[in-house]
Amino acid sequence: MLRHASKMILGQGLRFPSTRAVTVGAGTPRMYHERVVDHYSNPRNVGSFDKNDPNVGTGLVGAPACGDVMKLQIRVDEENGKIVDACFKTVGWGSAIASSSVATEWVKGKQMEEVLSIKNTEIAKHLSLPPVKLHCSMLAEDAIKAAVKDYESKRAKSNASEEAASVEKAADA
Amino acid sequence: MNTMEGVVLKLPYSFRIIKPNPKRTNRAFRTVPLASASVTVASPDPILGPGSLGHLTRPDFPILHQEVNGKKLVYLDNAATSQKPTAVLLALQKYYEAWNSNVHRGIHYLSAKATDEYELARHKVANFINASSGEIVFTRNATEAINLVAYSWGLSNLKAGDEVILSIAEHHSAIVPWQFVAQKTGANLKFVSLTDNEVPDVGKLREMLSKKTKLVVVHHVSNVLASVLPVNQIVSWAHDIGAKVLVDACQSVPHMVVDVKNLDADFLVASSHKMCGPTGIGFLYGKSELLSAMPPFLGGGEMIADVFLDHSTFAEPPSRFEAGTPAIGEAIGFGAAIDYLSGIGMQKIHDYEVDLANYLYDSLQSVPNVRVYGPAPSQAVVRAALCSFNVEDVHPTDLATFLDQQHSIAIRSGHHCAQPLHRYLGINASARASLHFYNTKEDVDDFIVGLKDTISFFTSFK
Repeated sequence: MLRHASKMILGQGLRFPSTRAVTVGAGTPRMYHERVVDHYSNPRNVGSFDKNDPNVGTGLVGAPACGDVMKLQIRVDEENGKIVDACFKTVGWGSAIASSSVATEWVKGKQMEEVLSIKNTEIAKHLSLPPVKLHCSMLAEDAIKAAVKDYESKRAKSNASEEAASVEKAADA
Repeated sequence: MNTMEGVVLKLPYSFRIIKPNPKRTNRAFRTVPLASASVTVASPDPILGPGSLGHLTRPDFPILHQEVNGKKLVYLDNAATSQKPTAVLLALQKYYEAWNSNVHRGIHYLSAKATDEYELARHKVANFINASSGEIVFTRNATEAINLVAYSWGLSNLKAGDEVILSIAEHHSAIVPWQFVAQKTGANLKFVSLTDNEVPDVGKLREMLSKKTKLVVVHHVSNVLASVLPVNQIVSWAHDIGAKVLVDACQSVPHMVVDVKNLDADFLVASSHKMCGPTGIGFLYGKSELLSAMPPFLGGGEMIADVFLDHSTFAEPPSRFEAGTPAIGEAIGFGAAIDYLSGIGMQKIHDYEVDLANYLYDSLQSVPNVRVYGPAPSQAVVRAALCSFNVEDVHPTDLATFLDQQHSIAIRSGHHCAQPLHRYLGINASARASLHFYNTKEDVDDFIVGLKDTISFFTSFK
């Protein structure tokens, strides 16, 4: 399963043409929207951060209906709560890859609270996803939220253990 | 959604309904000269050439004569649902125009007429599978029929430690209800996996049978692997150790002769919408002695004998399991579908589809980087006319989307309600093209051309 899955993940050392004018079939309207094609052939921010890094939040979401899995990671500046970097790895089809690629672009440079308001409908509109494909952008919205939640729960855990350590110190003193 | 008239509502694609040529009169058989050329892939059978069953029956299906995105529709998703001939559409319309009335309850003319037609439909279903009318329970679909067996027979016959044997290739509707029953009763579910040929391991199934086994649940034809199971053999082994057998015949009844006496199945289910009938109706066949001993499933009108405040008594089967106003029009439409299929002959349909199945399989295998699941067809192995497949490095949903948008070819992608099977095969999802007797060799050819174009589009990114 992993072998097949890894083949689906784009951006692993592939060469991309610089500009793509997609022409398919003489005269038939091109329905695979150019933004989706763009993100599919030239996905942004593919990669992985160390999930044990305390500044990294990892959101892993799946859509069993179509067999897609999305992993979206954020690196947060702990001083000011700003997302300084983001990356994704998605096992899935064009719209899923494009949705997660767009999501990583949109979260970079934003505050964590801000990205929680990114709605799947905005991603879908940006990619001109028709209604039948909205679940892909929903997955991206869920992945963002899951990444933020993961980061915040890591922070809460480490704060709690810091507090416990300082309480112990105070008790010892 | 689309209506059957020429009115185009707000649709995502531009539908243009093309009426079949009204001047077309006789559809006499033309004797097709045998092709003498030898072909490397699969020699075009006289059966598949012009004048084939597909060509002859296509005009009966209005929905097939339309364009999607400016190209003629090629519908290859029949395992999901089949299309309906005019005869069925007319039967539905006639019912609502002329006799619509509640069945079994009224005295007046319309009610009597509706009842007669409804019971006639039951009789047609019974005849179709060589059962008797009292053994046919109308349900909403096969899924509901399986749930009926699970809740009614299962809950009252299974106890802790009993075993139910299923294959991992079963449809979710044949797995999930038994999970509910297992949780409630403490019975255990045991699953048979596949052989190297990617068919359920019937030998292992036989070994798994023991005196703890109370039920075997198997499909007749797999909606993913296209394999056909030797049901009468499985039934005979199961009966030897005292177990019952529930056969999911959703993919067999529409495509071949199915005789419940020959199979000796205890329960058998199928859905109308997969056999050219309307949605909203299906049936459970159950041996009369089994049905007679089963408690009710749903409670309400029609299934009762007497109702008191604190208890009720119940009707004999099949009424006992048909609570509430049934899908009368749909049952009648189902009967019309059976008439249509019987008019052609299930053996003829099966013979045609076997040839078409082999043609589809061979054509698909000849496309590079395509992996088809299930057994290879041979003298010993007959495949159903469907292929689930994957293309290396292209997601099946991308395949289906591109084929739809650029070539107006309708296939399915996903897990086809068989997640355990996909997990076993080590894949997330697959694409599936599935045919019925109104598909032609040209449909397969168009599919292969479209598929090759699709693959070259996606591999151009690499």
